[in-house]
Amino acid sequence: MTGTWALIRLIVRRDRVLLPVWIAITALLPAGIASATADLYADQAARDSFATASASNPAQLAMRGPIYDASVGGLTAWTLGSSLALIGGLVSILLVIRHTRVEEETGRRELLSSGVIGRHAPLAGALAVVLAANLLLGLLSVPALVANGLPAGSSLLFGLSAATGGWVFAAVAAVTAQLTAASGTARELAIGVGGLLFALRALADAGGIGWLAWLSPFGWVRLTKPYAGDQWWVLGLVAVFVAVLAAAAFALSTRRDVAGGLVPARPGPAAGTLTGPFGLAARLHRDTLAGFAIGFGLMGALLGVAARGLDTQLDTPQFRELAATIGGADARISDVFFTFVMYVLSQLVAGAALVSALGARGEEAAGRAELLLSTPVGRLRWALSHLVFAIVSPVLLLGALGAAAGLAYDGDVARVTVATLAYLPAVWTVVGIATLMFGMLPRLAAALSWTMLGLFLAVDLLAEFKLATGIILDLSPFVHVPALLLGGASSSAALLGLTVMAVALATVGLAFLRRRDLMPSA
Amino acid sequence: MNAAVHADGLVKTFGQTKALDGLDLTVKTGEVHGFLGPNGAGKTTTIRILLGQMRADGGRISLLGGDPWHEATELHRRLTYVPGDVTLWPSLTGGEVIDLLGRVRGGLDPRRRAELLERFELDPRKKCRTYSKGNRQKVALVAAFASDVELLILDEPTAGLDPLMEAVFNECVLREKRDGRTVLLSSHILSEVETLCDRVSIIRAGRTVESGSLADLRHLTRTSVTAELIGPALGLAALPGVHDLTVDGARLRCQVDGDALTAVLAELARAGVRTLTTQPPTLEELFLRHYEGAAR
Repeated sequence: MTGTWALIRLIVRRDRVLLPVWIAITALLPAGIASATADLYADQAARDSFATASASNPAQLAMRGPIYDASVGGLTAWTLGSSLALIGGLVSILLVIRHTRVEEETGRRELLSSGVIGRHAPLAGALAVVLAANLLLGLLSVPALVANGLPAGSSLLFGLSAATGGWVFAAVAAVTAQLTAASGTARELAIGVGGLLFALRALADAGGIGWLAWLSPFGWVRLTKPYAGDQWWVLGLVAVFVAVLAAAAFALSTRRDVAGGLVPARPGPAAGTLTGPFGLAARLHRDTLAGFAIGFGLMGALLGVAARGLDTQLDTPQFRELAATIGGADARISDVFFTFVMYVLSQLVAGAALVSALGARGEEAAGRAELLLSTPVGRLRWALSHLVFAIVSPVLLLGALGAAAGLAYDGDVARVTVATLAYLPAVWTVVGIATLMFGMLPRLAAALSWTMLGLFLAVDLLAEFKLATGIILDLSPFVHVPALLLGGASSSAALLGLTVMAVALATVGLAFLRRRDLMPSA
Repeated sequence: MNAAVHADGLVKTFGQTKALDGLDLTVKTGEVHGFLGPNGAGKTTTIRILLGQMRADGGRISLLGGDPWHEATELHRRLTYVPGDVTLWPSLTGGEVIDLLGRVRGGLDPRRRAELLERFELDPRKKCRTYSKGNRQKVALVAAFASDVELLILDEPTAGLDPLMEAVFNECVLREKRDGRTVLLSSHILSEVETLCDRVSIIRAGRTVESGSLADLRHLTRTSVTAELIGPALGLAALPGVHDLTVDGARLRCQVDGDALTAVLAELARAGVRTLTTQPPTLEELFLRHYEGAAR
């Protein structure tokens, strides 16, 4: 364990932006939801009718589980219990793999281990930071909940439940990181385990097989029942589970070589069939794209099912008023819901498209572009081979999202799909800006592109609370997409304008690329 | 024009640092040209300019009779390149990478590919993420040696290879030379350059400090001798080809020209030797001597 403290400081230093942002956002979320719930369902009668409707909606049961108590606190715990475990779990998995297996894969661990760093220090350091961060965000959420008038004891239990959600998956990732030499596989394994455990809990609550929920961490974070009887001892169960997994990870790590895995890497083909940059790019983007497509498809299907129950569940005077101001007097509540959700999800799709759009820069930074561009492959052809996937990816993802949502809602695939595909030009604009950055400021391209997407999200958030209007709002391309489901003018002018802008941005970016030096990061 | 590479007064600056400061380089067609210099001297920058991946700020450059920046794609059909730090696609196997690089260049000789894989003892079915630095280098070398091109640009290609593989590499380079191909071999290992190269250029701080055939630069290849003697070796100072002689009690140090070694060893044997170390001069020593010579 020698050197663990030094490694903890290294990890905190490397993630000095990511950690505080993650902790701050997730710590603030519960109080926000609590106050929104208190506003939206002002009296006990409204909350009871909401709870009754939710209990009869299988999609809500699958996503969030049963409501244990129809108080403001109980509804807050119901809204966020699963989501916080999902967010905390995902971030924890990514962080643990990043500071263990990725370090070994890149050879940095070897460099450190030759110094005075104990065999267990890297895993111990990564786990310490991630567990502490989860605990911190759980504790930090408590004061704001109490300030919203919720009982202190239950709020503390709720905060700790949220923290343990992240703990479980940090421990799962610690185990998968020992199994294979490839960090990507370790990541996918851990996320896959998370998906299975989530599905297990969903099946338990939606299928009325309550005891199954006791087999999943996603069940445990709800079964502590904060604001609904406070079953503190369930936390002990989680702690034991985490301790056992962590011990297993440490034991496994002594049975393998540094940079090696317990599962040996399988050999691949001795001869290749790739004939050029487009074939190569297809190989590089294929798996990620397929994963995103399945993910967005499933999300769409869940939303479609959830929307079925919405017309009765959200039939409160407050929500009807909201729907009317957004969609006009005769708007269907489910259409308002779809419109709102698609608007948010289109920005997630933009995130997926950014991954593809920055693919070429990643190749350049890693030095692989240098090898490929020393062959007769020209720069433009190489850049386009990646860009084409950034263009196609949102078509596929928005299409999967809309089609699955439409199919699951009322079988009318075309109506919802057309409405989601309307976001294509906005997503392409994001891709265009990333390509411009890639051409002009390659070293900053990734940071600037993601910051820009974050700013667009912030603009929308400000708009939602009516804090941004006019020109600031106009800066986000997503604002200009007409809401087709709500009879928004299907004027092609805005969509055409965005598309033209996207093409222009990308063209300028590619022109800069042809003129500049290649810049590997080393 | 019989120069495969001709660079004249190349200048390249990165912000405040001048990476190349008037570099000259001529590689004649059909020769193996050693490109020597310490780390950070500007070897890789020069090669990136030759490959059209960077544009020079000043000076003139021609590659295979063309402009490496404007005609990059056409010129790349006629050359192959092995980077100093080979990074490959982690999810592809070595065989897949070799075939990809071969195909985009217009195909490679399958028999030569198989032969090279065997000689370099490389398993082409392994994923690139599992290869060591040396094995990644072998992937790039197999792809380079199996393709039919006029010019090979090799940037410190043996940095990760063990001595056995270095010998295989040397044979491959000599075979390319026999077949009339041109090789630009960047290196900081003098012995490698001595074995393979017809002519060498030595650069330091972005400038060419020596250029010529190995015979021209014979004065640079002195051996450093350190010995602990039993008796005094009085005749040593008078021998031709002995330089920088220092005697500290029984310990003796000197620099010896290659053709004077026999006489020096005979003289040492006469005095009686307790320990003896000889080593070729490091590149840094050569540069130091070069600059001392220039200052005198």
